[in-house]
Parts: sequence; structure tokens; C-alpha cells
Amino acid sequence: MSSRKLKIIIGLVLIVIIISIIGINKYNKPHIDVRTSDVAFTFTPEKLINEYQQDEGIATKKFANQILQIEGDTYTISTLNGNSIITFNNETLVSSVICHLQPEENNKILNLKKDQYITIRGICTGYLLDVVMIECVLVN
Amino acid sequence: MKTLYTLIFTLLIVSQVKSQDTFLTKTGYVSFFSHSLVEDIKADNNQGVSIINTKTGEIVIQVLMRSFMFEKALMQEHFNENYVESDKYPKAIFKGNILNFEKLPNEQSTVNITGILTVHGKEKKVETKAILQTTSDEIILRGDFMVEVADFDIKIPSVVINNIAKVVKVSFEFHHVPYK
Repeated sequence: MSSRKLKIIIGLVLIVIIISIIGINKYNKPHIDVRTSDVAFTFTPEKLINEYQQDEGIATKKFANQILQIEGDTYTISTLNGNSIITFNNETLVSSVICHLQPEENNKILNLKKDQYITIRGICTGYLLDVVMIECVLVN
Repeated sequence: MKTLYTLIFTLLIVSQVKSQDTFLTKTGYVSFFSHSLVEDIKADNNQGVSIINTKTGEIVIQVLMRSFMFEKALMQEHFNENYVESDKYPKAIFKGNILNFEKLPNEQSTVNITGILTVHGKEKKVETKAILQTTSDEIILRGDFMVEVADFDIKIPSVVINNIAKVVKVSFEFHHVPYK
């Protein structure tokens, strides 16, 4: 085999390997890391609910799949399948902001004091009876 | 038209929510599973809303498409952006009836449910059996049914046609509590 042919074969093999690596990396790309990604909008629960109640369509386009930060001190804590849920609501609101937290946040939840002002960051998925946020983490 | 539809639906939800005969959950579980020779794909959603009117047996279920979590981020991206177009059609909705609800015994029973499932803006009649369990403070409904992807005008590119099943299994479990 001539050295020219050999070089072409090696070149082709390298191209195939590089394309495969790029493909595999793309296929296995990780989910968005809420902790390290930039926050698109910061809201009080009242303001976010207000945005959805004024025009759900516009709010959905603006906020769905975005990382939102919610700050407030009126909330309840519950659990679902061992994971924590923080629901921001108060008597004046007809709706709530429901934040489903990542499993790693359970310990932080246990250390919360009553009515402690908290900041939560997560991915907004939209509005049903309430604004729904998933993959949430406690920031402070 | 879309605004009108949203308004009618909101009114329906509000009128139902105010009723004393209403049981609901906001943490309903809905998943779908696609099996193919190339790969299995599963997505879970724990944020479904389901409302039952215990007087009539009517049931309304809503889930956000963006709440479905996939193992692979790329699958989730393709699902939302290319297949179900979540920005355009953010919710899947089921409106139907649990048949003979008022005659059911106070324990576990198999029930027939019929209704209309709307996904990707397309409606399809669904008839399925489910297990209904009633306790003093909870109505649990669980089951599964099959849906054909093509019924909802979801277009799968030919490159991945072998990766995604033509018929997908939808499973659900709702723990409804009295609405206060």
C-alpha cells in the first residue's frame, strides 16, 4: 500500500472518530444546571402570578423553559416522593407559585426557619391553576 | 379563538373548583413510554392537575408539556421544540367522564373512562379502564392507555423514525384530595 493511500485511510478514520465523538457528546449533553446558569428574570410570587393572569399566552412565551428566581417569605413546604415542594401563596392570591425542588435540596429545607425570606431558582414550565417551576434550588 | 377557548376553559375550571363536590391534585403523575428496537424513551411529569366532580364523575386533567422530564436533555429538547411544539401548544388536556361514578363501591374498583384528549392542538377520543380507589380523604386513580403518535399530527423526522414508537404508552396516577 502506498503511503498516500495510507494517509487518506488514516485521515478518513480520524474524521469518522471526530464526528462520532461530537455525535455522542451531543446525544449525551447534560440537562441545564440551574445552579450555574444565568437567571432570566427575578420576581416576587405576586408579580409572576400577575404576569400570567394578565396574559397567559404572552407570559408562557416569555417565561416557559426560562430560569426564574422567586423571592418571598410566605410559603408552605410539602413533599412528594421524598422531594420537597415549596408553594408560595398567601390569602390575597388566587394562585400560587409551586416550586418542585431537586432531591439535593432536602437538607437545606430542614434548616429553614419559620417565615424565613428565601430565594428559589428553577425552570418555569408554565401555568395550570398555578405557576409551575421544576428542578428548583434554594439560593441563599 | 384561542383566547376564547382559554377563557371558557378557565371558567369551567373555576366553576368546578368552587364546588364542594370537588376533589383535586396538583401533583399528578403522568408518564409516557416509547419502546423501539433502537432505544426506549421515557418521560415523567409530576406536576399534573386533575379535578374530579364527585357528583357527576366528570374529570379534567391538564399537564404542561415542558414539565415532562427525559433522561437525555437532547430528547427533551427535540420533544418540546420539534415534536409537540410546546411553545405553541404548552398543555395537554383530557376532559371526560368516569362512567357510573355514583354507583361505585367505596373501595377499589375498575372503572371505564371516556373523554377527549387534546395534545399538540389535536383532539382524539380516548376510552380506557383505570383503577379507582376511594378512601375517606382521597380518591386515587391510576391506569394506562396507548396513544398513536400520528393521531396528534406529531411529525417524526425520517432520521429518527426507528427510534420512536408509533404507539406510545401513557401511564397516570392521581391522588385527589378534597378541595377546600
